[in-house]
Amino acid sequence: MRLAIAEDSGLFRSSLTLLLEASGAQVIASAASGSELLAAIDGDPGQPDVAILDIRMPPTFTDEGITTAARLRRLHPTVGILALSTYAETSYASQLLEIVSTGVGYLLKDNVTDVANLMDSLARVAAGETVIDPTIVRRLLLRDRRPSRIDALNERERAVLRHMAEGRSNLGIARELFISPRTVEAHVTSIFTRLGLDQADTENNRVRAVLAYLRSAD
Amino acid sequence: MRSMWLTAAVGLLVAGTISVLAQWPVWHQNGDLAGVNAAVTVLFVLTGLWLRREPGQRAVAWALIAAGVLRSLDFADAWSSSPVAVYDLIFGAADRVIGAWALLRYPNRALQKNQRIFLIILVVWMFSLRTLIAVTSLPQWDGQPATAWWPTLYADLSLNNLLYNVDNYGEAVFGVTMLVLLVMRLVQTTGLDRIVITPVIMAGLAAAVAAGASAVTQGVTSLQTTPGGIYIAEGCLDLTVPIAFVVAATQRTLLLRNITGLIARISAGADVEAIRGALRGALDDPTLEIIDLSADAGDAEAAEAAGDAPSWESGDRIVEFIRTEGGSPIAVVLADPALERYRSLFDAAVQTSGLALQNAQIQAQAAREKLDQVRASRSRIIEATDAERRRIERDLHDGVQQHVLGLAAQLTAAVHRTDDPAAHEAFLEARDGLREVLAKLRDLAHGIHPAVLTQGGLRPALEDVAERLPLRVQLTIPATRLSPAVEATAYYVACEALANAVKHAQADSVTVTVRIDGTELTMAIADDGVGGAQAPGRGLSNIVDRVGAFDGEVTVVSPAGAGTRLEVRIPCG
Repeated sequence: MRLAIAEDSGLFRSSLTLLLEASGAQVIASAASGSELLAAIDGDPGQPDVAILDIRMPPTFTDEGITTAARLRRLHPTVGILALSTYAETSYASQLLEIVSTGVGYLLKDNVTDVANLMDSLARVAAGETVIDPTIVRRLLLRDRRPSRIDALNERERAVLRHMAEGRSNLGIARELFISPRTVEAHVTSIFTRLGLDQADTENNRVRAVLAYLRSAD
Repeated sequence: MRSMWLTAAVGLLVAGTISVLAQWPVWHQNGDLAGVNAAVTVLFVLTGLWLRREPGQRAVAWALIAAGVLRSLDFADAWSSSPVAVYDLIFGAADRVIGAWALLRYPNRALQKNQRIFLIILVVWMFSLRTLIAVTSLPQWDGQPATAWWPTLYADLSLNNLLYNVDNYGEAVFGVTMLVLLVMRLVQTTGLDRIVITPVIMAGLAAAVAAGASAVTQGVTSLQTTPGGIYIAEGCLDLTVPIAFVVAATQRTLLLRNITGLIARISAGADVEAIRGALRGALDDPTLEIIDLSADAGDAEAAEAAGDAPSWESGDRIVEFIRTEGGSPIAVVLADPALERYRSLFDAAVQTSGLALQNAQIQAQAAREKLDQVRASRSRIIEATDAERRRIERDLHDGVQQHVLGLAAQLTAAVHRTDDPAAHEAFLEARDGLREVLAKLRDLAHGIHPAVLTQGGLRPALEDVAERLPLRVQLTIPATRLSPAVEATAYYVACEALANAVKHAQADSVTVTVRIDGTELTMAIADDGVGGAQAPGRGLSNIVDRVGAFDGEVTVVSPAGAGTRLEVRIPCG
């Protein structure tokens, strides 16, 4: 897998590079800011599969990662985006998903040290899926929302949706919940119906369901 | 001062001389009576001379002088000169008429209608009857030689006696009427006027009783048998009149000192309210009003002034501006028009209170400025603290957290490089320990200052707070960004109120509603808990202080059993 990294902390950047390369990934660009990363990607004929972006970077040290994600998606729509942050606030995740809805992920930096999980997330983002850190998903679940279509879901359906939000496949969800993949499929169909999503477009519906889930928090 | 003494000396000399000469024969016949008369004349004249200085009372002063002089001339008939005796017969009571006029008028500038009518009737009655008595009598009936010149037209003793008695009883009736008029005056007068005229009225009553009694006595006795004692008694009572005028004038001076003293006492540290009270008390005018014109005067006072305005519109009130030395008006005093007679008194009081008022205004302004300064410095301290917290949060995030993350990542990489199971285990353990440290660091950084507040503003920051709470939170918050200080203040208020809703109120749900109207942020946080929240606890009182530093205010309504509603208002224009 070809990766690009934008991260202003030199130590973390080199550690991450080390970790990723040890796991068999190829880091083709490594930058200390969003604009530096964009310049590096523009100058290289071979695009990365996923760009890893720190949320807070120079020059503003606020939400550079999110604005970089928006520009990157506009300039190179096929490049997956994985945002890394030390913030557990759901608002950053929501903000990112408002701008980029597919092939995108939001992980807490703490969990990056779980290499298997990191590589899995990168692969799923590269495949166009949406990956949200379990810590944040848990927060969203606990969140007491205003009445929304999500409230129409029953407990089991909500559990399935939560696993979807965490980026799991039907098979993975079946394994997590100790139910058959066929039952998961039935739940997913029910979720789509209750959320008013088009039954034909299954793969995008997964993303839309997750987004509905996340946005129900707003 | 010197001219006053000179005037008094000349007056004493002239009045004394006139009195002595006019009553020359009386001194031998009845020295006591002559002495009393001389005293009456001198005292009346001196009092009149003194009273001339009082504004608007010049006519009264001359009336007293005239009455005093006429009093002695009244006894000039002892000279055995028939024209003098005729004059005395007809005009002998002129001193009393003039005295009555002075008593009724002082200290006004004009007579009332009923008083004027009374005096006109008195004059017409007295002089017409006395003229009739003169033309129907012979000189010897008046103790003059039969050969003396006399304006006799038709001499008839019985008719003459009848007229004489009618005149005397009539004069007694006038004396009683005068009593009534004087009592009426006393009853009708209020305030300072009353204090001042009371001795004058009392003396007038005494003189009127004396005149009435004298007239009755003269009526029941014949001219020759009228006891001299009645004249002495009348004269002694008449003496009280000038004394009363002196007392009244002295009282005025004392009042003036009293007022000045009173106002001087309140001048240190008095506010407008206290000064108004002092002026009302000192000038005996409960309707007196001070309108504060200072630019900083509170809106409440201005509103009060506007509200009370109609009652001042009775255009006859005294309107006096209090000005600074530079001439710019600082206040308006509105007072009872009766105080116009005590203009110098009023002016002195207003002038003195003006200084106190100016002092009060300066003090109030200084207090306000000091308060503003303290508030400004408090808000600067809070802003500096906020900035410091933001800096610490950033340092934690960009420095320590990234560093620890790097180490954790290196440990993970190291795990892959070793085949030693013990080292593998140790690395993983160390890495998990670092992850715990990271979680704690993140919570710490968030507690010091939530980065989301700086980056996203109040709405996302409070959404994140709401997510962490175990109760339903409904947020209605505009996305508008405000100054960091206002956002942080509103954020901390909301956190505190939400924490209380969880900890104390046993609430199931809470709503947070924020409105921003351009100049002000208002936030209401209402829960459905048990209510009955006591006075702000430590957490909330810190919040109240913080809000106060930005010139805002916090109110908590928490009836038992009906939830708690906290409202905060922070200026943000």
